[in-house]
Amino acid sequence: MATAEKQVMIVAVDESEHSTYALEWTLDHFFVPLGDSCLFKLVIVHAKPSCTSSVGLAGPGAAEILPMVESDLKRIATRVLEKAKELCLSKSVSDVTLEVHEGDARNVLCEAVEKHHASILVVGNHGYGAIKRAVLGSVSDYCAHHAHCTVMIVKRPKTKH
Amino acid sequence: METESAAAAAMEHLPLKMRVMAAIDESDESFYALKWALDNLFSFISSTALPETGEKSDGLLTVVHVQEPNHHFGFPAAPGIQAYYPPSEVVDSVKRAQEQKSAAILKKASEMCKEKRITAKTLILDGDPKDMICQATEQIHVDLLIVGSRGLGKVKRAFLGSVSDYCAQHARCPILIVKPPKEDSKSG
Repeated sequence: MATAEKQVMIVAVDESEHSTYALEWTLDHFFVPLGDSCLFKLVIVHAKPSCTSSVGLAGPGAAEILPMVESDLKRIATRVLEKAKELCLSKSVSDVTLEVHEGDARNVLCEAVEKHHASILVVGNHGYGAIKRAVLGSVSDYCAHHAHCTVMIVKRPKTKH
Repeated sequence: METESAAAAAMEHLPLKMRVMAAIDESDESFYALKWALDNLFSFISSTALPETGEKSDGLLTVVHVQEPNHHFGFPAAPGIQAYYPPSEVVDSVKRAQEQKSAAILKKASEMCKEKRITAKTLILDGDPKDMICQATEQIHVDLLIVGSRGLGKVKRAFLGSVSDYCAQHARCPILIVKPPKEDSKSG
């Protein structure tokens, strides 16, 4: 059977544990059991917020802070991708593409779907309640509505109850 | 020795045997979701399940359909008339029609699964689809819930539909939302 046309699966990661859990769950269920003959090509995408959006300051002093914020964000992005790569390697998944794009996570993910012609987009979710969701917005919600492919939202089981 | 036991452990573990539930109603989108899942997810589940131990693959896929209760309480029929209570024959025939419709839906779903040689359990529930689906995922300890989405393609902003949306937020398990195919594919 020709395995030339593997479908693309994009997994979104950020620095939260929810996305780590989502990546691990996806690896366990879709990649580990099949090894080399898995059906999907894995692409891991991290959206790095632009420093201007993270810093709400305007006025004097902002110019000095921006480079520090930028290097901080770069460091976080590198760490996130390294952690993701380690997780994949620990599960013996070596055919992984890792990408960082700057911008709002919502747009970055939807654009990545278009670019790779992905079949599935996997996101975790922060498990926000209704109010937090309204205030902070939900990336998983946005992607579920706007991505042009199947979206899988992996939730961390609540350990409390 | 290590690789053998690791391989044996991996075979026993077989995390791919995840329990999947697909929610369907009479809409095309939900059938498309089921088809998508059968095409893309189960092609390797059924290949790892040995044909002899067919019983192992039972219960991997559950197809669930929720019947909404028909409210046949009185409703105002015309000005001046307070309420109109339909006679019991009407209620019964509507109920029967609904049951026939549900049976047809599940039959179509079962046939789709049989084509892919996957045994699926079917389940009919009564009540509000949002709540019943979420409850079912908890009771059966589902690993993945599959739903379609309205995807009103003509409208630029795609809408999920209230049931899929509710489940995406409230179901305790991972959820896979399948969008209908784009009618107009510009490139690729």
